[in-house]
Amino acid sequence: MSATLDVHDLGVLFGDRIGLPSLSLTVQGGDCLAVLGASGSGKSSLLRTLAGLQAAASGRIAVNGRDVTMLEPEQRGIVYLHQEPVLFPQLSVMENVAFPLVIRRIAKSEAQRRALEMLARLQVDGVATHRAGALSGGQRHRVALARALCADPAVLLLDEPLSSLDPGVRGDVREALLAARAASGAATILVTHDLDDCMAVATHITTIGAGGALSAPATPSALLLAPPMLEVAQLLGVYATLYGVVEMHGSAAMFRWIGGVIAAADATPGASVACVRSHELAVHVGDQLQAPVLTVTARRDAAHEVLLDVRDLSGAMATVRTFSGTPVQVGERVQVVVHHARIFPGH
Amino acid sequence: MRSRESLLRSLSFVALLLFATAPLLMLIVTSLSRGWFYPAVLPPSLDASGWRDLVNDPARRVALTNSLLLGVGTAIVATLLALPLGRAAALSTRAVRRTVALLAFAAVALPPVALGVGLQLSVLSLGLGGTLMGVFLAHMVPALGYLTLVFLGVFTRWDTRLEEAAATLGADGVMRWRLVLLPLLRRPIADAMALGFLVSWAQVALTLLVGGGAVRTLPLEVLAMLQAGQDQHAATGALALAIPALLVLAVSRTAARDTAAVAA
Repeated sequence: MSATLDVHDLGVLFGDRIGLPSLSLTVQGGDCLAVLGASGSGKSSLLRTLAGLQAAASGRIAVNGRDVTMLEPEQRGIVYLHQEPVLFPQLSVMENVAFPLVIRRIAKSEAQRRALEMLARLQVDGVATHRAGALSGGQRHRVALARALCADPAVLLLDEPLSSLDPGVRGDVREALLAARAASGAATILVTHDLDDCMAVATHITTIGAGGALSAPATPSALLLAPPMLEVAQLLGVYATLYGVVEMHGSAAMFRWIGGVIAAADATPGASVACVRSHELAVHVGDQLQAPVLTVTARRDAAHEVLLDVRDLSGAMATVRTFSGTPVQVGERVQVVVHHARIFPGH
Repeated sequence: MRSRESLLRSLSFVALLLFATAPLLMLIVTSLSRGWFYPAVLPPSLDASGWRDLVNDPARRVALTNSLLLGVGTAIVATLLALPLGRAAALSTRAVRRTVALLAFAAVALPPVALGVGLQLSVLSLGLGGTLMGVFLAHMVPALGYLTLVFLGVFTRWDTRLEEAAATLGADGVMRWRLVLLPLLRRPIADAMALGFLVSWAQVALTLLVGGGAVRTLPLEVLAMLQAGQDQHAATGALALAIPALLVLAVSRTAARDTAAVAA
């Protein structure tokens, strides 16, 4: 059975040049694939190419088995939602949402009934008679989603829908996205540079690397547990990256860094990087453990964790992430015990 | 200090009011009076014969009809041409945009006599010298220039995401124009048509040079009456020239008020 969206060997243009040379991906109906990538990595260009808003350099895009690569945007069954919701300012909210139904020549009364139903599903039926310009940010997103769902798309493309929102509205729109997913059988692609958005909305995550290649899609939890490569791990943005070297101790590979050694099964000897999440290590004040003693040179508090810069006797530095309640202060001598790490070759 | 500023503001306002309304008031009074000469402060009698003659005199009626035909025709055709031209240029490369803007500006900025001589030669070579069609083509040149600049400005600030959203929701090109573009363009279109009409309506030099005196329009009649010393008739004709301009302005403003928004 063919996937709802099947992209094969797609070349994506950045202006006049090919920015992403060969992308392949499939998304089944009802699934949401998050494409995670740094700013400027071509996420939006990928979506615009899929939607037909810019030409593909090469490759094939199929929707429900139908090749749509050369078709106009309106013929593809793919709805694209811009980062900022684009509502038609001359129409009311109801007319905006009924727009896809009206252009399909559905009777006005039936179009309005369905539009109201969709607005209710996304909990914005209370603003049905308002002008689009009178809505708040979260309402605009919900209305744009309701309108997209009224088009009954086979594929729904979401271009960083949460990136410009403040935290309160963000949670609101995440809920709307989940409601939209539940209400639609569409194959959805969400592009973002925010892991929390992926975790909240997506069923699978893929990443765009520096070379323009997509990583194999994985569930959010599987990807966090075992990112396939260092570049992906760094893109996820939740790991401390500890630089060191993998050495063989008999038949066992060990990763050595300024804070000690970590078991590194299957790692290749040589310069390496260990990726460690904040809950995967412990920072002990004092020198009672069998581990090198480090000095804390800086502490940076973030919302959910603390970043500590540590230095050994030789002056070598590292940054570790630990839980936000840690009492460790600058100038204290600490020992770091790593319980779990992902080891990647690298410098 | 504050009172001096206030006085200055009041004086400026009165001066502006006088400059804007005094000629119009003078025209109104002159058009309704006969035999009003210096040093009489007020006209000796009121008389509407100037208006009657404007409607009844066959030559003036033809001139009025020609002016209306040329104005409406120029407004419609220039808008129909300038809208897609301005849009295509605005959405094109910077070089194309600048070239189109330069050409449009040249049509507007060239002295009417210089433009008229060039146009006269072109229109003569087409066999349209001294015809209404020839004059219409001549009026189209500055009108198209003005209107292209108007639409170039509109579409340079245009939010193309509206059309993208409509397209991916399933609207084809015709639907996008009908349901998204045209409703949002009501105000610029009204403004452009008003401008196109007024460019033609007030045109003297091009009409004279290309029409060769065979095509009579209201501005030419007014000039002729003025030269002949028919002040009352000249004032009536001049008012008749001003009224549509004021009406067009009012209609264009109403259309603007009714337009919900211009995407930008």
